[in-house]
Amino acid sequence: MLSFIVNRVAHSLVVAWIISAIVFFGMYVVADPIDSFLPEDATAADEQAFIEAYNLDKPALVQYGSFLIRLVQGDLGISFNHGEPVLDLILDRLPATLELAVIALAFALLIGIPLGIFSGLNPRTKRSKATMFLTTIGYSVPNFWQGIVLILVFAVTLRLLPAGGRGDTATFLGAEWAFLTLDGWRHMALPVINLAIYKICMHTRLARSGTRETKTQEFMTFAKAKGIADQTLIRSHLLPNILIPIVTITGLEFGALIAFSTVTETVFSWPGLGKLLIDSIKLGDQPVVTAYLVLISFMFVTINLIVDVVYALIDPRIRYSAQG
Amino acid sequence: MTDILLKTSNLTVVYPTKRGAFKALDDISIEIETGKIVGLVGESGAGKSTVGRAVLDLIDAPGYIAEGEIDFQGESLIGKSNDFFTQIRGRKVGYVFQNPMTALDPVMTIGKQVLEAIYANTDLKGEQAYERALDLLTQTRIKDPKDVMEKYPHQMSGGMCQRVVFAIAISANPDLIIADEPTTALDVSVQRSVMDTLIDLCRQYKISVMLVTHDIGVISEYCDFVYVMRHGKHVEQGPTQEVINHPKQDYTRNLMAAVPRLSKRLDRFRVLETVTDAQSKAREVILRYFQESDFPDNDELLLQVDKASCIFNTKSGFFGPPKTTIGLDTVSFTQNRKEILGIVGESGSGKSTMGRAILGLQRLNSGSITYKGTSLTDNNGRAITKDIRLSMQCIFQDPFSSLNPRMTAGENVTFPIRTHKLLPDWLSAKELAENLMLSVGLEASAAYRYPQEFSGGQRQRIAIARAMAFRPEFIFCDEPTSALDVSVQAETLNLMKDLRDQYHLTLLFVSHDLAVVRQMCDRIIVMRNGAICEIANPDQIIENPSHDYTRSLIAAMPKLDLSA
Repeated sequence: MLSFIVNRVAHSLVVAWIISAIVFFGMYVVADPIDSFLPEDATAADEQAFIEAYNLDKPALVQYGSFLIRLVQGDLGISFNHGEPVLDLILDRLPATLELAVIALAFALLIGIPLGIFSGLNPRTKRSKATMFLTTIGYSVPNFWQGIVLILVFAVTLRLLPAGGRGDTATFLGAEWAFLTLDGWRHMALPVINLAIYKICMHTRLARSGTRETKTQEFMTFAKAKGIADQTLIRSHLLPNILIPIVTITGLEFGALIAFSTVTETVFSWPGLGKLLIDSIKLGDQPVVTAYLVLISFMFVTINLIVDVVYALIDPRIRYSAQG
Repeated sequence: MTDILLKTSNLTVVYPTKRGAFKALDDISIEIETGKIVGLVGESGAGKSTVGRAVLDLIDAPGYIAEGEIDFQGESLIGKSNDFFTQIRGRKVGYVFQNPMTALDPVMTIGKQVLEAIYANTDLKGEQAYERALDLLTQTRIKDPKDVMEKYPHQMSGGMCQRVVFAIAISANPDLIIADEPTTALDVSVQRSVMDTLIDLCRQYKISVMLVTHDIGVISEYCDFVYVMRHGKHVEQGPTQEVINHPKQDYTRNLMAAVPRLSKRLDRFRVLETVTDAQSKAREVILRYFQESDFPDNDELLLQVDKASCIFNTKSGFFGPPKTTIGLDTVSFTQNRKEILGIVGESGSGKSTMGRAILGLQRLNSGSITYKGTSLTDNNGRAITKDIRLSMQCIFQDPFSSLNPRMTAGENVTFPIRTHKLLPDWLSAKELAENLMLSVGLEASAAYRYPQEFSGGQRQRIAIARAMAFRPEFIFCDEPTSALDVSVQAETLNLMKDLRDQYHLTLLFVSHDLAVVRQMCDRIIVMRNGAICEIANPDQIIENPSHDYTRSLIAAMPKLDLSA
């Protein structure tokens, strides 16, 4: 197991390095920071100072080299736009995204899995069919449109919830969190629903198909034949056996929620990472985009690693060797 | 007055399908007396498992009991609630499934699964329950029960898992055990001891047994009374020896005749066969097709295996060192043209590995294989030509997975021939497919149907036709009839013998069933742990075995005294 983990961490370093190169050179070709970030009335001296501050006169390879060296030292560079260290920018916005992601995912698991098991156990009932119909709509309707409709209904027409922003926050563990205040929850409600709908639908369908497959397995019939009551049967035999695909998807989805809640955060002007990313891409803020994507690729590899470890805990038949 | 424990009267179970209602059971009446072992025998599709499932209300939806009565200990079981059945299941009736590897939950330890049954069906708690679990595992003759409690099913052999299933089934001292093919999925060498364990326990605790099986040998050895079923219908019933030795119905008589005997060798199995004109014409066409390739009709040396050895390296996970398993251990033998050479042994004995090595599907670590004077092993088989490749074919055990479900039977059979452009001018692919179908005993129109429309036996015939399409000289048959019913097995084996005689084929025939091998083969190789125990002709192997292992294999075969 240990060698497997070491091996995977090494893989992740390679992945992160490749990502950094792709993003760095991609941004280098596309964006011209001098045009974007200098005020229109900047003098030649201002321009010279800007160029020197960010080493923009050096060849691309040299710039990339010094970027890598700083990266290894934990220095992610300084944003063209904000003039602040990129790391501070990201850490500043991480809590906002994290709380959205965790709460949305919790909804997905707590609603999606029981719903899926229920409808998988009785696939022919009207309720089950209705569930399937709704989940199909839920994950086919585009995210941004769902967001706009939510705003239209709950914020504009009914005036129940605010349409955007994060509302009041409270300090916890040195960061600002909205989930600690009532106003924060009111602001979070719509973006969380917006993010959760898709995930709930996906988990329902996954749990349903897993249930339909597992319930016909012989060990389920055998457990029933040995006199186990239905509820115990579902809890201790069915659930552990349908978890594997769910864990995979949950891991990937959690990563995606943190990294790419861009659409939702934009629609609800939520000051999270997704909004930071989209704003930086628009402005051509190369240090932020590069650092962000390198960090995200790290995060994905880490999540996958955790998922793999969880596999082995759930299913004893899965054992890893160093080849991974 | 006799004491009837379980009684079904006119039981009918129906599965609604798109083509109308399918009767899985049709008017079945059986009785099980207290303390008796009653057999339900029949071929696949006979509905014998459905009887057991109906008793415990375990019939898969949309099937349902349409008619009839089930009485258990004088109480009707029809129309009772699920809660009622939860009280019966495990407590009064224990169930044993065919395949212990799928009957046990793969992600739960053995201990938890045994304890779960104890908690559900008895009043024992904590320490007492644990002691009971250990006691049960000991009674089912499991070594180191404490270790086993911590293990997962995949870490144990099939035989051990089935003993765990027994332990669960008897955990609450039930009155009846329904054993559904309890040893069919197990290795031959352990079938007997596993079966003995179950029967001994049931006799000890005076538990009645409903023994569902297709194996006449098992029935004859263990059952007091037997019911014969076919297509969901009752065929006949009676005390075991009477039914086996003096069957009243034609079906039972044919079934008994199709059972391969260990005790004497017959040229052919006695099954009703008629050869139609179309079939004999087709055989002539195929014969002409074969004759083009001009195989010599002699019995010279065809295949020579010399000190073949191979080793499998498997990772043992975590930090463990790589494990090596011996696949083949200095195996040497020869096979002459037109000979049917049998290889027997339990799983893991290397019998399939040997065949795979000959076909080039498994590389040897040392030793050589020579076929028609050409080395198949030197220089990684550089000398193997396409002709040699094509002249060696194989037939696999499972006819359900070895045919491409997206191609018709005819396409399955002729696809390789068309790919290699081997068709002669006078024969089209269509004609070849139709004639091959006829020559393996199917209708010509079978060529245009898809594999899933056929039964297991018919599919195996298609697989044989596919091997034949290459005009092979040598066919490796890997347990070709293990997945088939006895009567179908008898027909298939007859067919293979006919093909050998007509087309001068050489067959290497792998099987775990000594009786089948005895009927089929000219010589038999007995293998164990990758090495050859002995090679001899069938009569000598069965009647005068020289190796201890052969003797134990023969002893493990169910005894079947058929006067028929």
